[in-house]
Formats: sequence, structure tokens, C-alpha cells
Amino acid sequence: MSLQAGLSFDQAPPFTLPLRFFLTAPLFLLLAAALIVAAPDALAARSTPHAFALTHALTLGFLAMTMLGALTQMLPVVAGAKVPRPRLVAWLVHLPLVVGTLALMAGFLTAAPVAFGIAVGLLGFGLVVFLLAASVSLARAAHSATVGGMRLAALGLALTVVLGGALALLRMGWWTLPGVPTVVTAHIAFGLLGWVLLLVIGVAYQVVPMFQMTPPYPPALRRWLGGILFALLLLYAVAPTVLPVAASAAAIGVAGVITLFALITLRLQAKRRRKLPDVTLAYWRVGMASLIACVAVWLGARLAPDWRASDAYPMLLGILFIAGFAVSVVSGMLYKIVPFLAWFHLQAQLQARAGSIPTMKEMIGERWMRAQFYLHLLACSLLLVAAVRAEWTPAAGVALAASALLLWLNLLAAVRRFWRHGGRFL
Amino acid sequence: MEGSDEILVDARGLAAPEPLERVMDALDTLGPGQTIRLLLHREPFPLYELLAERGYAHATHEDVEGNYVILIRSSHDPTAPPARE
Repeated sequence: MSLQAGLSFDQAPPFTLPLRFFLTAPLFLLLAAALIVAAPDALAARSTPHAFALTHALTLGFLAMTMLGALTQMLPVVAGAKVPRPRLVAWLVHLPLVVGTLALMAGFLTAAPVAFGIAVGLLGFGLVVFLLAASVSLARAAHSATVGGMRLAALGLALTVVLGGALALLRMGWWTLPGVPTVVTAHIAFGLLGWVLLLVIGVAYQVVPMFQMTPPYPPALRRWLGGILFALLLLYAVAPTVLPVAASAAAIGVAGVITLFALITLRLQAKRRRKLPDVTLAYWRVGMASLIACVAVWLGARLAPDWRASDAYPMLLGILFIAGFAVSVVSGMLYKIVPFLAWFHLQAQLQARAGSIPTMKEMIGERWMRAQFYLHLLACSLLLVAAVRAEWTPAAGVALAASALLLWLNLLAAVRRFWRHGGRFL
Repeated sequence: MEGSDEILVDARGLAAPEPLERVMDALDTLGPGQTIRLLLHREPFPLYELLAERGYAHATHEDVEGNYVILIRSSHDPTAPPARE
């Protein structure tokens, strides 16, 4: 039982604070699209300079950008735990992340050691500041399955940053590292599965029932799934040097966890209490279907070694996971978070009477969100085709650019309505 | 659904963000001495911030069925009954 009577709360951090992350992210998606159009070999093979630059534009510039911005907001909402010094943290994370990601892309494209040096310094600094702030907040938060998932995801991000930093220093010629392929594999595994997927799983426990009115996730799944996934990833990362057979077992376990999470999410969504069309729901469904497709492609490669050795296989897997799963889920969440924040800050600033400000549903036009969703689907489909047939690469890039641009304009529409109704960006 | 001194907002089973919007609407109809009783399946952290901004006090507890019950009244209303359960 808590009783608070009009005491001066820590005010919610200003709207501009997460907004700067959310409005920068689609521009990196646009940059990734430009890279695909400009460099036809960007989708040809996994380890070309263009493919590295493209991957990091998506994972750092779009995914991490949005997720870090959302976490500074989500932690107070789902756990009642504030991020310390939010204004300072936002400045010290956002700008280094923007410039550091651009420097890293430049490093891959030019092989200039100085670009990698700037990238390591800035990305290391920005992400460590974020991790420290998030750790304080997560330590204060009341424990829940979501908070547990976020804690593990933060650990996954920390490992990804350390391994990525080591690989960047290697490219600068600072040292030679034994077992580079093992380090690369671990960097990818912790980045995509230990950070992105784990965070989505943790957040899903809260937002899927909350926004889509589904039954809750089964308690046993909430208690165990994140921890099991993280343990399997650790085993997968260290096993190749110790016990190769364990790495295969761990990979099969991870595939099982991914399939289970995706299937249960789809089943819960099928049982939702109100069957209203919703773009976020559509985005989540595409995301879950892409996860299942990832596992199917991975299994296919286990059964066909020739296919496993092809250039197309890792590209398909990457496109399905990054564009099909991660970008979809994050885009869907942006369409909930940004309208909510626009409404919340208007409400708090104006103390508006009912009916005098737009509702959350009115912040972004439904038709435009739906149109952007279809553009994203088109972009994903063309990217998959382009991974197998290179002549489709420019078309895939153009579709991705259109989708990114409309996402950006849709988010801006919410900001414009906030401004028009007298909202202030303090 | 109104008693003489209590407005019930049963927002269980509503998708976010509707519960928040309904409470904001209910605040506009709150007369002197009245309390809003909000029923929810989760604890509405963002709501507390909005209530404090507008000068409302709240008291939250969980009932036996695991629902969150949030009692809301104006903190400037001397005639309002103290929030208690």
C-alpha cells in the first residue's frame, strides 16, 4: 500500500530524450538501404566490407538505437525503476552511438585504422555509459521475468561490445588474436541472440498481453526460458575450443528455444480477447514467422552441407533474423511507444480536459502505418530474393529505403501533432 | 457505475493505453469529496506521474484476486475521505 499526495515526483524525462533515439533510427535504416543500392555486392556474401557495414548500420544504427531509447523509457514503466540522470545519460549515449556507428561503417568500407579507432572509442564509451545506467536501474527494479530478461540481455550486450571491440582492434593491427573465427561467432551469437532476442523475449512477457490483450505467457516459460537461452549461448561460445560436440548440442537447444518462444507467442496472439486489426500485432506476427523460418533454414543447412557452405545461406539467415524478426518487432513497438509518449507528455504538460487532445490512436494515421508495414514486407521479400539472385539487390534497396522513409515520416507525424496541440520540447 | 462518492473505472481487460485515457476522462467528472476506484491487472506506473502532476493523491493495493485497486482523489480536497482500505 503506497500513498503519495501531490508530492513533487521526479518528473518523467522530457519527450526529446527518447525521441532523439527513435527519430535517428529510421535514418540509419535509410542509410542501410542506400548502401544496398550503391553496392550491389552488399548482399552477395557475409564477409564483404559492404556486408559488414550494412549489418552494423542495421544492428547498431537501427536496432540498438531504438532499444536503448526504449529501455530508458520502459524501465520506469514496467519496473517502476528510474534510470539515473536520464538527461545526461541520453546525451552521453546517443551522440557517441550515432558518430561511432558511422565511424565503424566507414572503417569497414575504407579499412582505415583511424576510423576503427574512433568507432571503438565512441561506441565503447556510449554503450558502457548505457550499461552502467541500466545496471543501476535494473538493480533497483523489483524482480520480474521481464527485469530478469533485461538483466541477461544487458549482459549479452556487454559481451557483444567487448568481443566487437577486440575484433575492431584486430582490424587496426593492434594485436593478433588466436581463434578469430570463434570470437566472430561468439560476437554474432551474443549480439543477435544474447542481446536482441533476449530483450525481445523479456519485453514480450509485458507488452504482448498489455497491448494485444492475450492471455499471459505460461509462468514456467517466463521463469526459465531466458536463463536457459543464455546458458546455451555461453556453452555455444566456449564449446568449439573445448568440446565441439557440445557446440552442436547447444545450437540445437537454441533452435528449440527460438521455436518455442515464437510458437507460444503466435498461439497467445491467436487467443487475444479483442480481434481488432492492429499494425503492431501484424509486425509481431511477421517477426515470429521469421524466427520460425530462421530455424527452418538453419535445419536445412544441417541436412545439406553443400548449401551450408554457400554464400546465400548465411545471408538468408541474417536477413530473416535482422530484417524479418528484429526490425519488424522494433518497428511494431515504435508505433506503440511514440504515440504513447506524445499523448503522455501532452497530458502531463497541458493537464488537458477530455477530448481536447488527440487520443493515442489518433497520433499516427492507421492507413499510413499499414502502408509502411506492407512496404517493409515487400523490402524483406526482395532482400530474400536478392540473397539468391543478385540482380534483385537494387530493387530490395529501394523498397527498404521507401519503408524506412515512411516509418520516419509516420513517427514525425506524432511529433507534429504533439507540437500542434501545444506540447513543448523541454 | 457511480456511487454517491465513488466513481468506478473497471479497466481490467482493456488494452493499453485505454485504461490511462479512461482515468484521465474520469478525473474531469470528479466532484468534491469523490474518489475514483480504478481496477487493473497491472500496476500503472505512468499513471502515478500524471496524477501527481495534476494534484491528485492515489493509494494502491492488491485485492485477494490479484487485481490492482487504485483509489484516486484530489489532494486539495479537504472533504474527500482519506484513501484507505
